[in-house]
Amino acid sequence: MTELGVHDATVDGGEVEKDILRFLEAQTKRSWDPQVDLFAAGGLSSLFAMQLVVHLEQTYGISIRGADLRLDNFRTVANMVALVHRLRSAAGASGA
Amino acid sequence: MPDGLAAARDLLTELVGEQAESWDRTGQLPRELLVRLGAAGYLCPQVPTVHGGLGWDSAGDGEFTAHVGSLCSSLRSIMTSQGMAAWTIDRLGTEEQRRDLLTRLTGGELAAVAFSEPQAGSDLSAITTRIIRDGDSVVVEGTKTWSTAAAYADVVVVVGILDDGGAGAVVVPTREPGVRVERIADPLGCRAAGHADIRLTRVRLPATSLLGGGGQFLPLLVTTALAYGRMSVAWGCVGILRACLAAAGAHARSREQFGRPLGSHQLVARHLADLLIAEQAATRACEHASRCWDEGSADQVLATVLAKHVSATQAAQGSAIAVQVLASAATRDGHTVARAFRDAKCMEIIEGSNEMCQLLLADHVLATK
Repeated sequence: MTELGVHDATVDGGEVEKDILRFLEAQTKRSWDPQVDLFAAGGLSSLFAMQLVVHLEQTYGISIRGADLRLDNFRTVANMVALVHRLRSAAGASGA
Repeated sequence: MPDGLAAARDLLTELVGEQAESWDRTGQLPRELLVRLGAAGYLCPQVPTVHGGLGWDSAGDGEFTAHVGSLCSSLRSIMTSQGMAAWTIDRLGTEEQRRDLLTRLTGGELAAVAFSEPQAGSDLSAITTRIIRDGDSVVVEGTKTWSTAAAYADVVVVVGILDDGGAGAVVVPTREPGVRVERIADPLGCRAAGHADIRLTRVRLPATSLLGGGGQFLPLLVTTALAYGRMSVAWGCVGILRACLAAAGAHARSREQFGRPLGSHQLVARHLADLLIAEQAATRACEHASRCWDEGSADQVLATVLAKHVSATQAAQGSAIAVQVLASAATRDGHTVARAFRDAKCMEIIEGSNEMCQLLLADHVLATK
């Protein structure tokens, strides 16, 4: 489940951020700031958090499991970018 | 479809035979049957082969689940619980926990999942079960209710609140001191599925029992665990509808009233059409959701809730239609269609009631359309 597949771990963070913002915008029909709390009052549902998990896994060939399923990792776009980078470098380091 | 699906379906047809009625009437499934199916990997077919599972995809698991659901919803419920426990361990557990626990769950140990509490049903944010970390151990304290399959289970995945306010899922062996499992007498449906209340009184376990070290976001933890359960219930309802369709079709062909077969009376014929529509609508919703799962599409989240809701409501309506077509022939406890009627009603409640599913679907509309 942790193979990188066709995705290159060297893609810079700007690309990941743009992709997540594109996904959010396509799903919610509104634009988001990378630093805004997505799940604060009037924000996104827990079902949407699950959609984000699946989207990030599929897009970046990562596996988000265990303790990483905490809200902090999905609270902002910036946090998700950091999560993607951490899990991709961990997968790269393990030789996947 | 996965290799071995056809053989698995044939085996289950043979093993269940004509026994579903007596299992329903006595409220008991033979434990040796469950252990045998579990050890063969059939109770949670999506567990990866590296952990001893069959490694089936969602579509294959779904077709198998529908087949078991057409034979006996109590047995199908056992699969739902075992599969949900395995899925939760797979998503939340560390590599070491996955290796240990998934191997056991495909090696003959039986598992259940415990979410609901006396004061926390649809509103799982109200759960009060505590998981206290204490050095190398965790202490679990609380009361869980209506845990399907718990009466048979060797281990129960218990969802609770950690000492720091975060959420966690802990794997509790039912033989541990302080664990009391009390079977719920005479449930309305899935009568042999081993529903039970679980009292946990200062249950001390190794800290490694806490999946992934805990600290997950409760709604995300619950949504993750329920996702498998919802798919399983949805496909199980397809099975209920297939059993009803077969029974109603056969009856309408063979039973004669007013000098001709029931099926040639137009009001009865419409029932048959409605039943086919129900079975097909539910099947398509499930096939779509399984395809989303197997493709890793983010649409799987919504498709899963939709499939669960469509299948459960169609099964409840379709089974009521089947009772109407069979009439006195089916108004007897234990009959395939009588079981379907009671079992399907429960499927409108479990793994997210109709109303909770509708709220989730409505939230989606409000957030995205």
